[in-house]
Amino acid sequence: MSTDKSSPDNLDTDRRDEPPWLLVTRREVVSRITDKSFLLGTAFMVVLIAGFIGFSAWQEERTETVTLAATPDAAAMATAVADAAPGVDENVDVTVVEVDDRAAAESALREDEVDAWLHPTDDGWQLTSESSEQGSLTDVVEVVVQQQVLADNAAEVGTTVESLQAGSTVTTAFLRGDAEKAGVAEAVGFVFVFLFYFAALVFGMQLASSVIEEKQSRIVEIIAAAIPVRHLLAGKVLGNTALAVIQLMVYLVVGLVGLSFTSYKSYVPALSGPTAWFIGFFLAGFIALACLWAVAGSLASRTEDLQATSTPLTMLMLVMFFGGLSLDGRAQVIASFVPPVSAVVMPKRILAGGVEWWEPLLALGLLAAFAAVTVWIGERLYRRALLQTGGRVSLRQAWSAAE
Amino acid sequence: MLEIRELTRRFGENTAVDHVSFEVPAGLMTGFVGGNGAGKTTTMRMVMGVLGIDEGEVLWQGRPITRLDRRRIGYMPEERGLYPKQPILDQLVYIAQLKGMDRVAARTQVTELLERFGLGERTKDNLEKLSLGNQQRVQIIASVLPRPAALVLDEPFSGLDPRAVDSMVDLLREYTRDGVPVLFSSHQLDLVERLCDRLVVLSQGRRVAAGTVAELRDAGVPRFRLVLGGDAGWVRDLHGLEVLDLEGASALVEVRQDGAEQHLVAEATRRGDVHEFVRVRPALSEIYREATA
Repeated sequence: MSTDKSSPDNLDTDRRDEPPWLLVTRREVVSRITDKSFLLGTAFMVVLIAGFIGFSAWQEERTETVTLAATPDAAAMATAVADAAPGVDENVDVTVVEVDDRAAAESALREDEVDAWLHPTDDGWQLTSESSEQGSLTDVVEVVVQQQVLADNAAEVGTTVESLQAGSTVTTAFLRGDAEKAGVAEAVGFVFVFLFYFAALVFGMQLASSVIEEKQSRIVEIIAAAIPVRHLLAGKVLGNTALAVIQLMVYLVVGLVGLSFTSYKSYVPALSGPTAWFIGFFLAGFIALACLWAVAGSLASRTEDLQATSTPLTMLMLVMFFGGLSLDGRAQVIASFVPPVSAVVMPKRILAGGVEWWEPLLALGLLAAFAAVTVWIGERLYRRALLQTGGRVSLRQAWSAAE
Repeated sequence: MLEIRELTRRFGENTAVDHVSFEVPAGLMTGFVGGNGAGKTTTMRMVMGVLGIDEGEVLWQGRPITRLDRRRIGYMPEERGLYPKQPILDQLVYIAQLKGMDRVAARTQVTELLERFGLGERTKDNLEKLSLGNQQRVQIIASVLPRPAALVLDEPFSGLDPRAVDSMVDLLREYTRDGVPVLFSSHQLDLVERLCDRLVVLSQGRRVAAGTVAELRDAGVPRFRLVLGGDAGWVRDLHGLEVLDLEGASALVEVRQDGAEQHLVAEATRRGDVHEFVRVRPALSEIYREATA
């Protein structure tokens, strides 16, 4: 200690603005979002979501134009079909082509000049087409012909269709929303469960392998000599959680915005609430799992060990995935409070409706408490397993090892 | 000065480090030698606080070492530890920040050091793209950030070619000149002998020898080589000496009784010509082998 240079006291090395965990968090985030494969993967998913929604919307809006051949004796009926078509199915547009006789109609069909041929038979009407199905057209023709013939028959016996049908209407009322709404809830619920599974698995694996990378390269010793291991774990968990939540929000926003361009746009406001809940549940659920992923990484000594040390976790993820998808009734209600499965089941119940206001709060509280416990257990295991080298460390060894 | 007092660490039944004490004085290079499993790495990890201590303590400047003290000690783990897939500038700045430097100062110092080691052009390259020697240079930079109060280096020379060793030694000497204590482990004894001011020998978890190289070489029972004009067979008859080797006019003896070597010289000159009479100091490798046997 002979010169000034050697004295670290005048080096301002402790003028630290950021706590160590924040430095670690920032590194995790920056090194990931500057990683090309991560960016490409995210961009690919966004394109996939937008593309899927766009395709569905196009499919739905697409107007089918069919040409219908009719001989003079069927012209009136064909015209009635063409006129009534948009009222029956808004996506079917019928053009009538008049042909001279049966032979001309058949040849037009074979030449593909027309899609179908409508003609009267002895006991009704027949719609002839080439082998391919004309589903939408058949539906339209059935409805229109029936109405038309019914009206004619009614007129013949001196009455009207209205009086014949009087008192026969069945109206429906739903206590728990209509079928379409339930369908939307089911579909979005599937998306929630899938996104949770996907993100927790991808980011969990990433977190575990970054722990191994540090352990295997021994940089963890340099880091552990500089900052408490607790801060390293906190930084890694928070960094990956932030990345996962941001990515999830991007997907959800793209999905909701996309949906607002389709005929389902009326559901978007109703979906926003459950989506917000889902993000909350995802956050708590992911933090709980992230700590366990970090432990799975710290128990391994080499990347090859990860398969073995993470098996219990991947099983848990599968249970959450299938539980989230398949549970219903009382089992679903119970599961919606049991962490960590509640992270996917409760958002699904919220989507379906009929949930008391306190139920999501209670489930989220329980999940957060569970996360606190895994953070505590995870920290102890991680700290003890992290600096043990030479082969896999068992959970029991890690738990009882001296530091 | 770094002081290690009675450090002990057990792994289950096995005592890896058994009440080891030594000092790493300011401005001196202390070599830490011992075979595989002697406890060098375990000791260094305890000094760095990376591994818990069962018994004993580590003192820095005379008081128990704190985490803040340790953050100022440059540490190089046994197997090189940095991120293989990250640019070298970025990760060095990150490490400097973890050690408490602010970002701007860290960047400046890292850039300076990289340039000094001829890596100025490669700051954006990932570590794994560098040659092994260059990776080692990056590693040493990581351990001297920020200007270290002490250095603890586990096998810093392993895998280096002679030129890389020289440039590493130059750098370490710069720090010792400034009064920084340096502790490094190695099993290349010739290197240790050339570089070290002091030496600590560990065997099976125990300290078996410590001191300067000269002290260690002088410490054993004195040995003398005698070369005469004629046959040296009569040396066997003298008291207080043990003949280790005898070949014609030449004899190697070990002194068992103080002053016996004086009798030997007197007797030899009385009998005829003495061509050579010299104290033989064992080579470090010999001391090492004996100490760890």
